[in-house]
Amino acid sequence: MDIGESKEDAVFVLEPKGRLDSANARSFEERVLAALEKGENALLIDFDQLDYISSAGLRVLLMGAKRLQQSGGTIALCALSPSIHEVFEISGFLTIFTVHSDRAAALAAMG
Amino acid sequence: MLRFAEEIMLLLLDDQDGSFLPIPEWSMQCALAGAVLMDLALDDRIDTDLESLILVDGKPTGDPLLDPTLERVVASGEVHGARYWVENTASYADEIREAALARLVENGILNREEDRFLWVFRSRRYPTVDGRAEREVKLRIMGVLLSDEIPDPRDIVIICLCDACGIFNELLSPRELERARGRIDQVRKMDLIGQAVAKSVWEIQASLAMAAHPVY
Repeated sequence: MDIGESKEDAVFVLEPKGRLDSANARSFEERVLAALEKGENALLIDFDQLDYISSAGLRVLLMGAKRLQQSGGTIALCALSPSIHEVFEISGFLTIFTVHSDRAAALAAMG
Repeated sequence: MLRFAEEIMLLLLDDQDGSFLPIPEWSMQCALAGAVLMDLALDDRIDTDLESLILVDGKPTGDPLLDPTLERVVASGEVHGARYWVENTASYADEIREAALARLVENGILNREEDRFLWVFRSRRYPTVDGRAEREVKLRIMGVLLSDEIPDPRDIVIICLCDACGIFNELLSPRELERARGRIDQVRKMDLIGQAVAKSVWEIQASLAMAAHPVY
């Protein structure tokens, strides 16, 4: 799975591309954990190029959010496609994550 | 670590006398089915989305509580929704229940006693020998219900299963349940197999209610 990575001021951005499911949830989890272990405490997951997410992908996001909550950090998501937004709505994940329309809006809110 | 089916069995037993709490049979069957499917998901054998339950890895887990269900998913060769698999697996709930109880007895957590009534009818009880596992499950549940912390996937699963079979009525006082209701409703949505379990249980409850009070 191709996962973009960048640092925008104090915000660490991960951009998974394509599908986030059981085939690549572990590698995405490793990238999230590596960021947290480096001390990043403001994490933005940019979904702009993500087409699909399964339960395995949702669990990784949950794990990242829990770790950041415990360390006093923040996590946000942006640019959810309508189908992914529906998954988040039905699974109640919108009550956990702050979701922004795009990366610029997210960075402005997190900065 | 206990499997979810074992945890559910511990919660379904009356602590005092080791008898089963009075919950509807179909609810228990669906909860046990969901328990096995959720363990398979956390073991990376299956995955789910809003429409489908997908086989990820058909290699046996080596756990006799899980492998019969995994074998059926592999043998099916077709993609169905999570609800189909909850209801399919629920028809094997007796085997899952017996296997879970046998393992709890084998591991010294429960004792198995058989009573005879009028020398003919047998009833089984499972008094607790070592209550630590059950206490740990209850603490996990209460920890999630009484806080705003983000739950971890195992906590979400056990809360989905407890809600599906109505165990919260036994674990919490009516006042506690009223206070925790919003949190239960929030957490139970977070697992798609858990949602399928709840839908199967509700549908049967609704059809039973319709049968009891038909609308003419």
